[in-house]
Amino acid sequence: MVIIETATGNSHPVEIKLVDDSDYQKLTKARYFFDWKAEKQFEVYKLCIFGSNEILGLISLERIPDEWRIHIRLLTVSVENQGKHKLFDNIAGNLIAHAAKIAVAAYAELACVSLRPKTEIAKHYIETYNMQVTGLTLSIEVPEILNLTNRFDHD
Amino acid sequence: MTRAENKDSNNHPEFGVDSRYTSKKESQSEATALMEARLARMKNVSKDDIIRAKLMQLKLNMEAFIKQPIHEPHNYFSEFLQSYIDAIYSKRSIFAMDLDITPSKLSQVINNHREPQDEFLLKLMIHSEKIYANVCPFQKEIWYQVYFHEKLCKMMSTQKEWTSKFENVVSVSEPITKYEK
Repeated sequence: MVIIETATGNSHPVEIKLVDDSDYQKLTKARYFFDWKAEKQFEVYKLCIFGSNEILGLISLERIPDEWRIHIRLLTVSVENQGKHKLFDNIAGNLIAHAAKIAVAAYAELACVSLRPKTEIAKHYIETYNMQVTGLTLSIEVPEILNLTNRFDHD
Repeated sequence: MTRAENKDSNNHPEFGVDSRYTSKKESQSEATALMEARLARMKNVSKDDIIRAKLMQLKLNMEAFIKQPIHEPHNYFSEFLQSYIDAIYSKRSIFAMDLDITPSKLSQVINNHREPQDEFLLKLMIHSEKIYANVCPFQKEIWYQVYFHEKLCKMMSTQKEWTSKFENVVSVSEPITKYEK
């Protein structure tokens, strides 16, 4: 998995790991938009450039085994990585692909990742990640979930 | 960031998503609708895509296994091998034929009555490389990594027994203290 440095086009390998208890101090609303401490009971993952401790993106997941589904509760990139002047590209994509990998590893052909973005930004997720629409919920399933995993898998 | 910029960025796709449900009722009603839609879509999933999903699951689970620290022993290699064969073949004997081995030899490996030899592992690597070419990036040597990681788990779990067996016959004739200043 890699992210792209927008200024140079260089790619940087990243790792996605569970957030440590000690990380929560650094996860301020000013930089990461949400109250991440409130997510401690869920699986929260951080994306960092390989070998660095700098957290560039975060995702909070809920496993719903009865429905073979992983629900994305919260997803964000750090403040300096969004908008026109962002430093790195593909942070959100890698985090969604990570959720897709967890779903495929657990549920194979039944795997599903869901999220429920605001109406204004739903189009972006539908177009960028080939998601299906059901009411207010967007989801990605087989075969699209396999293609998404491959798209971000550069290992 | 000004309030206007902040509001604008909150609507920017890369700002992220807050998908938390506000109530259990809301979550359940959306889950029911989603499940109905998914079941309808699942009917159109091709056999090939089902196989691709199973093979990708296998690859991800093997990768997770070799990253795990040493733990209680379990027959992971044979379980992964079974999943691999059963994802692709209707009969295991056909896989044996494709690998140019006898079905009984394959059965012994699957049932942990025989250790996989190098020849078997090398053939399995060639086979899986061909199969995964149409599925996802795949490091064929992972079969060896799984096999040796499992061996390591088994060996470390019996550490007490082999330590007591060999401790008395192993000596250190050139202790490091010899080089002390």
